Amino acid sequence: MTALLALPILLPLVGAGCSMIVGRSRAAQRAVSLTVLTAVVGVAVTLLVAVDRDGPVAVQAGGWAVPMGITLVADRLSALMLAVASVMLLAVLVYAIGQPGAERNHVGFQSVYLVLSAGVAGAFLTGDLFNLFVSFEMMLAASYVLITLGARRDQVRAGMTYVVISLIASTLFVTALAFVYSATGTVNLAHLSERMDELSPGLNTAFSVLLLVVFGIKAGLFPLFFWLPDSYPTAPSAVTAVFAGLLTKVGVYAIIRSQSLLFPPESRPSGLILVMAGATMAVGVLGAIAQDDVKRILSFHIVSHVGFMVMGLGFFTVAGLGGAVFYIVHHIIVMTTLFLTGGLVEHVGGSSRLSRLGGLVGKSPVVSLVFLVSGLSLAGLPPFSGFVAKLGLLQAGASASHHTIVAVALVVSLLTLFSMMKIWSAVFWGTPRSEPEVRTAAPPLMLAPTLLLAAASIVVSVAAGPLAGLSERAAQGLLDRSAYVSAVLR
Amino acid sequence: MIWLVALHFVVGLTVVALGDRGDRRTLAVGAVAPAAVLIWLATELGSVLDGSVIDESIGWAPGLGLSIDLRLDAFAASMVLLVSGLGVLVLLYGLSYFPRQRSGLSRLVGLLVCFSGSMLGVVLADNLLLLATFWELTAITSFLLIGNEHTQQAARAAAFQAILTTGLGGLAMLGGFILIGTAAGTYRLSEILADPPSGSTVTAGVFLALVGAATKSAQYPFHSWLPGAMVAPTPVSAYLHSATMVKAGVYLVARLALPFGDTPGWRPTVVTIGCITMVVGGLRALRQNDLKLLLAFGTVSQLGFMFVLFGSATVATVQAGCLLLLAHGFFKAALFMGVGVVDHQAGTRDLARLPALGRQWRPLGAMLAVAAASMAGVPLVLGFVAKEAAYESLLHQESVFGRVALCAVVLGSVVTFAYSARFVVGTFVAPARRGAGSLSVELAPRGGFLAPIAVVSFATMLFGLVPALLNRLVGVATGVLGAGHLGESTSAHLAMWHGFGAALVLTLATYALGAAVHRWSATAVKAFARAAELPDGTDVYRSILRSMNRLADVVTGTVQNGSLPVYAGVVLLAAAALPSVALWTGDDLPALPPFSDGVAQVALAALVIGAAIAAASVRRRFAAALFLGTVGYGMAGLFVVRGAPDLALTQTAIETLTTVLFVLVLRRLPDRFERTTAIAGRPARLAIALGVGAMVFVFALVAASERVGPPVSDEMTARALDDGGGRNVVNVILVDFRGFDTVGEITVLAAAAIGAVALARAGRQPGDAVGDPVGGAVGQSGPVHIVRRVFNIDQSVSVIFYVMNVASLYLLFAGHNQPGGGFVGGLVAGASVALRYVAGGIDEVRRISPLKPWTILGSGVMIAAGCALTPVLFGHPVLDNGAWSMDVPIIGYVKVSSALVFDLGVYFVVIGLVLMVVEAFGERFAVARSTVPVDGIEEASA
Repeated sequence: MTALLALPILLPLVGAGCSMIVGRSRAAQRAVSLTVLTAVVGVAVTLLVAVDRDGPVAVQAGGWAVPMGITLVADRLSALMLAVASVMLLAVLVYAIGQPGAERNHVGFQSVYLVLSAGVAGAFLTGDLFNLFVSFEMMLAASYVLITLGARRDQVRAGMTYVVISLIASTLFVTALAFVYSATGTVNLAHLSERMDELSPGLNTAFSVLLLVVFGIKAGLFPLFFWLPDSYPTAPSAVTAVFAGLLTKVGVYAIIRSQSLLFPPESRPSGLILVMAGATMAVGVLGAIAQDDVKRILSFHIVSHVGFMVMGLGFFTVAGLGGAVFYIVHHIIVMTTLFLTGGLVEHVGGSSRLSRLGGLVGKSPVVSLVFLVSGLSLAGLPPFSGFVAKLGLLQAGASASHHTIVAVALVVSLLTLFSMMKIWSAVFWGTPRSEPEVRTAAPPLMLAPTLLLAAASIVVSVAAGPLAGLSERAAQGLLDRSAYVSAVLR
Repeated sequence: MIWLVALHFVVGLTVVALGDRGDRRTLAVGAVAPAAVLIWLATELGSVLDGSVIDESIGWAPGLGLSIDLRLDAFAASMVLLVSGLGVLVLLYGLSYFPRQRSGLSRLVGLLVCFSGSMLGVVLADNLLLLATFWELTAITSFLLIGNEHTQQAARAAAFQAILTTGLGGLAMLGGFILIGTAAGTYRLSEILADPPSGSTVTAGVFLALVGAATKSAQYPFHSWLPGAMVAPTPVSAYLHSATMVKAGVYLVARLALPFGDTPGWRPTVVTIGCITMVVGGLRALRQNDLKLLLAFGTVSQLGFMFVLFGSATVATVQAGCLLLLAHGFFKAALFMGVGVVDHQAGTRDLARLPALGRQWRPLGAMLAVAAASMAGVPLVLGFVAKEAAYESLLHQESVFGRVALCAVVLGSVVTFAYSARFVVGTFVAPARRGAGSLSVELAPRGGFLAPIAVVSFATMLFGLVPALLNRLVGVATGVLGAGHLGESTSAHLAMWHGFGAALVLTLATYALGAAVHRWSATAVKAFARAAELPDGTDVYRSILRSMNRLADVVTGTVQNGSLPVYAGVVLLAAAALPSVALWTGDDLPALPPFSDGVAQVALAALVIGAAIAAASVRRRFAAALFLGTVGYGMAGLFVVRGAPDLALTQTAIETLTTVLFVLVLRRLPDRFERTTAIAGRPARLAIALGVGAMVFVFALVAASERVGPPVSDEMTARALDDGGGRNVVNVILVDFRGFDTVGEITVLAAAAIGAVALARAGRQPGDAVGDPVGGAVGQSGPVHIVRRVFNIDQSVSVIFYVMNVASLYLLFAGHNQPGGGFVGGLVAGASVALRYVAGGIDEVRRISPLKPWTILGSGVMIAAGCALTPVLFGHPVLDNGAWSMDVPIIGYVKVSSALVFDLGVYFVVIGLVLMVVEAFGERFAVARSTVPVDGIEEASA
C-alpha cells in the first residue's frame, strides 16, 4: 500500500513533463492528462479503502528514517480529501476540454493543470511541514499561470492581487517554518507533534496562531480573504471551478491538520478560530448578497462556507471535526458544480450578470435542474448534501454549547438561500433575453462532468450514513494523534 | 409506508421529466400515488382507530440522528386523510381546470405529486430531522409551484417571499429541533414526546420550533406570503395553500402542545399569536374583492383559530382543534375549487365584476353554500360542530387568559360569519341583484368539474349531521397527542346539539353580530380596519429585504474596496498582531544573542538593509531591480561568512540570472513606478512594516531560546558522506535526503516558465491582450535593435559560452562531492545562454539550442519525477537511491548513481527555464522587417 502514496504526486509530474514535450499535439496532451488523472483517481480510491480499513500508512522518501527524509502519509482525512479532489480534478479537466477557450488556446494548460494536481495531492499526502510548503508552491505557481490564462487586462489585474497576496502568505509560511525549525529542530509533522508538546504554552499558541494566519490566507478566512472574490471570478470558468472547489479547501485542510496534529489541546486557539469562522460566514454571505454577477456571488459563498468548516474545527470535538470533514467533501463537490454551472450559464445565456440573464429554465432545463439541486444544497436545504453536512456541524455546536455561532450559521444559511434564490429567479426564471450571437446548446463535454458532480452530491446525501461514519473516524484520528504519529515514527 | 412516500417522488419526477411531451392526462397518472395511500390507509384505519400505531424505519445517517422513521397514529391518519384524499380530488379537478396541453403543465403536475409525498412525509415522520427534511421539501415544491408561471414578475416575487419566509422559519425550527434533540438524546419524535426534556435550552428550542410553525401556517406577523401565493393556479392554492401545507405548522404545534405545554411562556405565546392572527386575518378577508384573496385571508384567520385551540392545550380544546382541522380542510378545498370553477368559466373572480350565474349554476351554488356554512359555523355541517366544541372548551378555561382567548375567538368567528356571508351572497346573489349580465348557458360547469367539490361538500354535511362518526378518530387522536398524560379521558362525544348553555348564547350572538357586520360591511370594514391597523406584513418583509441589501452593500463596500495595498496591509497586520498577542501573554523576552560574529557580518548586514530600503524607496524600476540584486549578493556574502560556500554560489548565480531577466522584462515597462498611494497612507504602511518586523524579530528570539531538541541538520551533516554518498552536504540534502522537495521546486520553476511565456505571448497580441501601450510611454521604442556586430566580441562570447558550459557540466557532475550540483550547473549554463542572447539576440539563442525550450523543460521534469518514481515500480520507497557501475571499454570504470540522474533533471529544468524566458521576452536583433510593436506589460497592481 505504501507504494501508492507517491503516485498521486509523481504521476501528474511525469505527465506534466510529458505534456510539455508533446506540446504540439493537443490530442496527445489530452490523452496524457486524462490517463494520469484517471490513474490518480484509482490510486486515491484504493488508498482510501485501505486506510479506512487498516489505519494510517506512511512511507519515507528515499528510505531515510524520520526526521532525516520526507514522509508521505495518508490517514483517513487525507485519503478522503485526495479521493474527492482527484475525482473533481478529472471532471473539471473534461469540462475544460469541452469548453471553448482556456484549454484550447494555451499550449501550457495541460502541463500546468497537472502540476496543480500534483501540488494538491502533495499537500494532502505530505507528512512534512516544509514539503507542505513546497506542495503549496507547486499548487500556487500553477494557479498563478491558470488565473491569468488569456491575459485579459482585468485578469492580469486580478491575478496581480492573487499573486501578491499569495506571495505574502508564502513568505509568512517560510518565516513560520524557520521559527518552527529553530525551536524544535525538525519539520516532520509527526515528530513535531511530539516536540511541540515540550515548548512553553505561550510559544505553542503563538505558533498555532501564526500558522492559522498563514493557512487562513489560503483558506479565505476573515479578515484574510478580501483578495479572493476579487481574483477568482476573472479566470476561465473551469479554472475558477478548480480554485473554488479545491484551493481554499487545501488551506482548510492545512489548518485542520496543523491545528489538530501539531499542538497540545490546551494551546489551541479555539476562541479565535470560532470568532474568525463566524465573521467569515457572515461577511462572506453579505458580500454575496451585494453582487450582481453569478461568478462573483459564488466566489463570496466560497468564503462564507469556509467559515462553516473552520467552525467545526473550532469546537475541537469529534462531532465538530467530523462535521467539518463531511462539510469539506460536500462543499468541494457542490461548489465546483456551481461554478461549472456558472460556466454553462455564461455559455448558454451569453453573460454571467444577473441583470442580463433570464428564462434559462426553458432554454436549458438540465442546467437549471443542476443549479437548483446544487444551489439548494449549498444553502443547506434538505434532503441535499448540504443539509446533512450542516446538520453535523450544528449538532456539534449545540453539544458543545456554542449557541451563538450556531445561530450565526443558521442566519447565514438563510442568507445563502436568499442568494441562491436570487440567482435562480434572475437567471432561470423570467423572460429569456436572447441575444442573436449567443450560442444556445451546451457542449456535451461541459455538461457531462457537471452532471457527474451533481450526481455525486446526491450520492453524498444518500450515502450520508457511511460518509458521516468515515468522517467521524477521520475526526477521531485527528483528535487522537497516536495512530498517525506511530504510523510515521513506528 | 416508506415506499408509498417514495412512490410520490418517483411518479412526480417522472411526470416532470416528461416536459412538454406530457399533457393533461398526467394528472390522472399523478393521482395514482395519493390514491394508493388512501387504499393503504383504509386497510390500516381499523387498527389505528383501536389506538395502535404502525412504525417503519430505515437508517439514513444514524450517527447524526437522521433516520427515516415513519409512524402512523390516529392524528397522523386524520392528516393523511386530508393530504391524500384532497390530493386525489385536486388532481382529478385539474383534469377539467387545465387545458389539454399547456407549457409547464407536466412540471406543475409532477411538482404537485412531489408535494403530496413531501406533505405525507411531514405528517408521518417520527424523527424531528426527517420532519424538517420533508418540511423543507414542501417549501421547495411550494416555491416552484407558486413560481410556475415564472415569466410574471408577481409570481416570481410571491415565490421568493414564500420561500424566504418559510425558509426563515424552517431554519429556526431546525435549530430548535437540534436543541431539543441534543437535550433529549434522541431525535425520535415519539420518544421525545413520551418523555419531554426540559431546561432553558429546551425552552429556546421549543420557541424556535414555534417560529417555524408560525411561518409555515402564516401566523401574524409572518402571514403575508400566503395571500401572495394566490398567484398560483387554483388547484395549487386549493391544495397547498389552504388545505394541507399551511397546516404543517398547526400539525407541529399540535404535536408539541400537550407534552411541552408547561414550557414557560409557551401557552400564552401560541394563544396570543393565534388570537391576533384570527382577528386580523378575518378583517382582511372582509376587505377583499378577489375571491381567492378573500379565502386566503380566511385561511390565515382559521389557522390562527387552530393555533388558539391547540395552543390552549387541554383535552377539550385539542379535540375541538382536531375537528376544526378536518372541517377546514374539507370546506376550504370545496370553496377554492368552487372559486376556480367560477374563475375558469366566467373569466373573473372579482366580486365587483362577477356576472350573474344562472340556474345551471345551482348545484355548484348549493355545494359552496354548504362549505361556506361550515366556514361560518352554521348548524347541520361539520364547521358548526367544530366551532361549538371550541366555544365549549374555551368556556371551561377559567383563567383570565382563557377569557381573553374566548373573546378573541368569538370576535374572529363574527368576522368569519360576515365574510362567509359576503362570499356566498357576493358570488350567487349580488350580481343578479345588481343587474349584471348573465353568463351564457354553455359556460355552466359540467359534472366532472364539480364532482370533486361534491365529494368534500358531502363529507362536510355527512360529518355535520352525524358527528359521532368522528368520535373514535378524534378521541384516539387526542390521546396520541399526549392528552393521556393529563389524566383525563380523551374519548370524544361529539354531537350536533349541545343543549342550552353559554356556548349556544355565544353562537347566537356570533350569528347576529356577523349578520350585522355583513349588512353594514362597508362601514364596519372601515371601522374595523382602522381599529386594527397593523403594519402590513409585505411592507415589513420588503423593508427587511431593503435594509439587508443595504447592510450587505455597506459591509462589502468597506471590506472589499478592491485595493491591493489595503488587502496586503490587513493580511500583514493580522500576521503581526495575532501571534504577537499570544507571544506577549508568555514570559519575559529571552536575552538578546551576541550582536555579531565579526566586522564582515556587520558590514554585509548594513549593505543588505540599506539596499532593501533603497529598493523600496527609489522611483526608477531599473534601480529598484539593481538594489534587489544587491540585497541578494549581500545575502550570498552572509552565507560565505557563515561558512556555506555552496549556498553562496547558488545565491550568486540566481542573482546574476535574475538581474538579466529583470532587464529583459523592464525594457517593456515604464521607466518609473507610478505613484499610487497618497502620502497619507505612508505612516500606516510604515507602521505595519515595522510591526511585522518586530513580530518576526521577537518570534525568532523566543523560538530560538526554546530549542527542545537537536536539529535534523546535525544528523544530516553526520550521515551525508557515509549514507548519502556525497561530501557536499547541501547537494546530498537536495537530491537525496530532501529530494522530494526538489522535485516539487523544479516543477514550480517549470510552471513559472510556462506562465511567463503565456503572459508575454498574450502581451504581444494586439487587441484584447494586456499591455496596450500605457500613455505612449512604453513600447514606442520599437522592437528592432540594430546592433552593430563586432567580430571580436562575437568571438569572445563564443569562447566564454563554451567555457561556461564546460564549467556548468563540471558543477553538475562534481556537485555531489564538491560545491555545485544540478541547480547551480543549470544556472551557469543559463547565464551562458543569456550572454549569447546579449550578443546575438533571440536568433542566436535558437541557433545554439539543439532542442526546443519546451522539450528541455519537460524532459527535466520527467527525468526528476521519473527518477523519484522508478524505485516505486521495483518495490522500493519513493526516490530510493541506487547506483549502477560498470566497466565501459576505453573509459573504464563508470559509476552512475540515481542521484546524478536526478540532478540532471534539475539541470535541464533550469536551462529550460532560462531558454523559455529568453524566448518569451527576448527580442530579435538586427531584423529590420519586423514592425510588430512591442507592448509593455502594465503594472497591474493598484
